[in-house]
Amino acid sequence: MTQQVPGPEMTTGQKFYVREVLQGLWITLKHTVRNVLNADENFTIIDYPDVKKVMPERYKGAHRLTTRPDGKVKCVACMMCAQICPAKCITIEAGEDPDDPVEKYPVQFQIDMLRCIYCGFCVEACPKDAIRMDTGIYEINGFTRQDLIHDKAYMKDLKAGKKPLAEDWYREHPEDAPPGYDVKAPKLREGY
Amino acid sequence: MPTVKVNGIEVEVAPGTNMIEAARQAGVDIPHYCYHPHLPVAGNCRMCLVDVEAGGRGPDIACNMQARDGLAIRTDTDNVKRMRRSVMEFLLVNHPLDCPICDQAGECRLQDYYMEHGQHHSRLADEKITRTKRQDIGDLIILDADRCIACSRCVRFSDEVTKTGELRLFNRTDHTEIGVFPGTRLSHHYQGCLADICPVGALTNKDFRFQKRSWYLRAEPSVCDRCATGCNIDVDHDHGEVFRYRPRRNDAVNKSWMCDFGRLSYKRLAAEDRILTARGPEGAEGVDAVLAGLAAAVDAAARDHGDGSVGLVLGTRATNEANWAMLRALRAAVPGARVFLVEGNDPDAFDYTDDLLVHADKNPNTAGVRLIAEADGAVGDAEALRAALADGGLRLLLVLADDVLARLGEVRRPEALAFFGTWANATSEAARWVLPLAAAQEVEGSFTNFQGRVQRLQPAIPAAGDSRPGQVLAAGLARALGEDALPAGAAGVFHDLAANVPAFFGLSLAGLGAEGALVHREPPTEQVAPPDTRPAP
Amino acid sequence: MDWIQIGIVAAKIGFAVAFVMSIVPILIWGERKWSAYIQDRPGPNRAQIAGIRAGGLVHVLTDVVKLFMKEDVQPTAAMKAYWWVAPLIPMIVGLMTFTVVPWSSDFAIPAHSFGDWPAADLTIPMQVARINAGMLFILAFSSLSVYGIMLAGWGSNNKFSMLGGLRASAQMISYELAMGLSVVVMFLVYGTVRLDEIAQQQAGSIFNWGIFAPTGFIVGLIAFLIYWTSVLAETNRLPFDLPEGEAEIVAGYHTEYSSMRFALFFMAEYAHMIVGSTLTVTLFFGSYNIPFLRPETLQANIDGVLIALGCLGIPVNLFFAWLAWKRRRRVFYLSIRPDDPRQKEPKFWVAVWTMAALASAGLAVLGISRWVGMHLLAAETAVLLLHIGMLLVKVMFFCYVFVWIRWTLPRFRYDQLMNLGWRMMVPVAIANVLLAGIWVIIRETFLA
Ligand code: SF4
Ligand code: SF4
Ligand code: SF4
Ligand code: SF4
Ligand code: FES
Repeated sequence: MTQQVPGPEMTTGQKFYVREVLQGLWITLKHTVRNVLNADENFTIIDYPDVKKVMPERYKGAHRLTTRPDGKVKCVACMMCAQICPAKCITIEAGEDPDDPVEKYPVQFQIDMLRCIYCGFCVEACPKDAIRMDTGIYEINGFTRQDLIHDKAYMKDLKAGKKPLAEDWYREHPEDAPPGYDVKAPKLREGY
Repeated sequence: MPTVKVNGIEVEVAPGTNMIEAARQAGVDIPHYCYHPHLPVAGNCRMCLVDVEAGGRGPDIACNMQARDGLAIRTDTDNVKRMRRSVMEFLLVNHPLDCPICDQAGECRLQDYYMEHGQHHSRLADEKITRTKRQDIGDLIILDADRCIACSRCVRFSDEVTKTGELRLFNRTDHTEIGVFPGTRLSHHYQGCLADICPVGALTNKDFRFQKRSWYLRAEPSVCDRCATGCNIDVDHDHGEVFRYRPRRNDAVNKSWMCDFGRLSYKRLAAEDRILTARGPEGAEGVDAVLAGLAAAVDAAARDHGDGSVGLVLGTRATNEANWAMLRALRAAVPGARVFLVEGNDPDAFDYTDDLLVHADKNPNTAGVRLIAEADGAVGDAEALRAALADGGLRLLLVLADDVLARLGEVRRPEALAFFGTWANATSEAARWVLPLAAAQEVEGSFTNFQGRVQRLQPAIPAAGDSRPGQVLAAGLARALGEDALPAGAAGVFHDLAANVPAFFGLSLAGLGAEGALVHREPPTEQVAPPDTRPAP
Repeated sequence: MDWIQIGIVAAKIGFAVAFVMSIVPILIWGERKWSAYIQDRPGPNRAQIAGIRAGGLVHVLTDVVKLFMKEDVQPTAAMKAYWWVAPLIPMIVGLMTFTVVPWSSDFAIPAHSFGDWPAADLTIPMQVARINAGMLFILAFSSLSVYGIMLAGWGSNNKFSMLGGLRASAQMISYELAMGLSVVVMFLVYGTVRLDEIAQQQAGSIFNWGIFAPTGFIVGLIAFLIYWTSVLAETNRLPFDLPEGEAEIVAGYHTEYSSMRFALFFMAEYAHMIVGSTLTVTLFFGSYNIPFLRPETLQANIDGVLIALGCLGIPVNLFFAWLAWKRRRRVFYLSIRPDDPRQKEPKFWVAVWTMAALASAGLAVLGISRWVGMHLLAAETAVLLLHIGMLLVKVMFFCYVFVWIRWTLPRFRYDQLMNLGWRMMVPVAIANVLLAGIWVIIRETFLA
């Protein structure tokens, strides 16, 4: 059941929306005129894709499979992630590793990124901290559907993208930084 | 009949019933590890502790408490809850919690009872005691001694059921460790049952190892088709693929057990030698086309050489319905056709027999086919068939399911042979027409085991390839022969069978129940009309 | 009718189609660029031809290529016939309604202007079809466009499309009522339903414009506000784009459409914006008329007007050149790709605008040299062009208002939409009609 949260009553004048609409239009007009006359000086944008936004640490990007010190994936193919996944996009094929004390390992581990909804449940469910979404990679694209089925080999220790991050770029080229951007203490300003 | 009280609910139980079973009848579940209905009581896990209200001193273990008049127990007191919690804590003290890699997860009593009764945090400050993991102790069993909770079910099983006694609990207290005697391995053919009865993941099935997490599987009740015992099974399947068979409890047939041969026979459902397509003289064709060709041949033979030139061999490996439908179809179109029943084992049957479960007859439905043959009254045996083949009068022979040529040994081959079967064999090699018969776990129907117990089959997975249930193939053949009045549904065929075969009088497919029903040893003198359970059209 | 007349009609039809269709891509570009400026973004700035991005106009070209090359996905469960027809209807309707809109005063060709032709004085109405029904024709046709949307919603066999279609039909029917009533005010004030006559009566002072309901003032303003709101709703533009409502129903009625079929819907939306703006201009803002310059006055003083225009053009174009010059430091990726052809773009635009300023100067010189006197039709043609230009300017302004409103206001909730339509606008519109009637009676009896 939805619950109606009562807002302030509208006056009769407000019900015609005329004055309120004009107020709104006035604000957007001011922005337009300012931007035309100031030759785009006021934009606080990141020059994507030439530079990239630094994603906050907890941003949920592409999945990666973490590894143990011996280089094998931590995953033990317990299927918790596959079970919890609301999009049912994780396919794991379990196998036995006879030389490993951790008897079980995923022979194949695939995530269909076309179906994934980035809910992060798989990360939450994993009892082994074997899967994480902390790569910060948000450009998940490919030319075929097959490209977008990330497999074990790809996800194993996946690192963040290669293109320069905005932060790095602005440190080397302060002149490109948007006004108000503090190069020495880069912080994502509100409105970024 | 003693009357006992469980949580204030009064139940009357059979004498000798223990309180776990009595409580179950009262609708109360008492958690337990070491108790098993088909094993002697050991009373060593203490999980079943209950408060005794009257008729004894409590708290006591329910598994070792015989029902007697005036006995009253409670399972819902705080005391019981505390006891369960403490027992759980003890059991888990040295437990490795391998759940992510443990095959038992999902059907593990330790997990279930922890969620219901435990829910404590570990207070253990010391190192856990570890025991040997991953020991290969048998052809079908991997032992992880670390996960064992020392319930001794497996020990009792090998002592009392298989009487081989390979397993023992060694050492004492914390260091108790389950294992086999050095240098020995499990030697019996009921190893799979160990994995079933082990309440935790200490004994796991090597064949099922890491194949599937148990919660993805759906179980369908069925019957094993590898010998005349007809062990009741659950077919565990997912997305049309069968992953394992598990024995289904039927105290009259297999208790809680099944043999390893039957257990592994699920592989035959997807075996290489499955007959998946119909084959006629011109190679693979559609089922209907092959049936039409066969019907034309039957017609021609009956016309040119008389009804007696057509023969049918009933199948001891096919369901009652398949046999009955085939018999009816042929009798309707070619009244004078000769029908035979050839008993014996096929070459693909396993070679092992004991007095526990495995019957010498490796065909699931010999008893049923005998009854049908008896009712028909004109069914010849192997000798008769040999003779009929020798004189050449039998020109076209239809064979249902059994590898008849192999059973007969050296005989003169009939001119033309049609085989309705599930797996390729000598008969299918020689046959001119081969029709794919769906396997027992894929069809609706029934088998009659050696006791004369009619047991119901329910389809767990869709029939592989083009294969169809026997009664459907029979109805197709009948239609091709110009007879469309015969029922094709299993329930309808069984209804027809129960109306015509005296031993089956009064039975219905839906009425067989989970335990099956015995046929009439002494057929009733008067025909009992079977209840019509077919769905209304 | 002889061949020449048929040719003239054909040319007019061609012009009408071209008028609408050539503004569409500009509007698509405008939508992107203007919205970007509203939101402090640069907008499209990557697609380029030899480094020229034309402020993002090149993106429109890439769009066309993309839409043509895309796979045309047809849902298997769609009802083929409806699904095929649906995208055509809004586009056709959009173009049809444009046929009765006048875009200039009548073009008179005196007899024997070109040798023997024409035999008698010829007056060509500058509108595709001069029919008596006029505005009624438009009202009738514009309500047809909802069929396209309904068919698309129904024929796609998709619940979201269906919802979109239903929303659209309810919304359009509700707002058509208010729109019709506000147009009635104009009929009363001008005493005609023919758009060409309404346009003629708006010549001269801006107080002849519909928005001042020739000095009935408040009546015209209210009628305009209601009319404009209804036009927003009729074109399914924000704040009334519930039929698309991407937050709730994916993309509404065109969820299942892709490739050029989608493009037809897409273009139809813009075509409707153009037609809506044109009608607004025609009814309320003096149509093609240049303020304070009646067509006759204009024709008589055409030289002076050209001089004035040329003189005005010089500073305006120089202003744009200055803007382009200012932007030379703000070319993005400057330090990232030093060899990028886009580096040179600001210089190009400075050159272009400077040249435009020179052209304006040329126009002034032309006026001074009395070039228009060289042929008897030169003045007529100049007036025609000026009127079309004026119409274009006004239409573009209102198209901008469309965009401006879209990127300012949030979407209405459906109950708010219905409340506004039925409880606010319809009663006010009815009252306004009464007011207008009273005003007209007063005007006829006392002021005439
Ligand atoms: S993020 Fe969510 S949807 Fe994506 S793989 Fe993980 S559980 Fe599945
Ligand atoms: S939950 Fe973790 S350990 Fe289990 S299968 Fe998924 S990634 Fe592997
Ligand atoms: S035996 Fe049960 S509790 Fe122990 S690891 Fe296996 S599933 Fe987990
Ligand atoms: S191995 Fe399993 S059945 Fe045997 S004693 Fe241990 S827990 Fe019980
Ligand atoms: S079940 Fe009673 S003590 Fe184990």
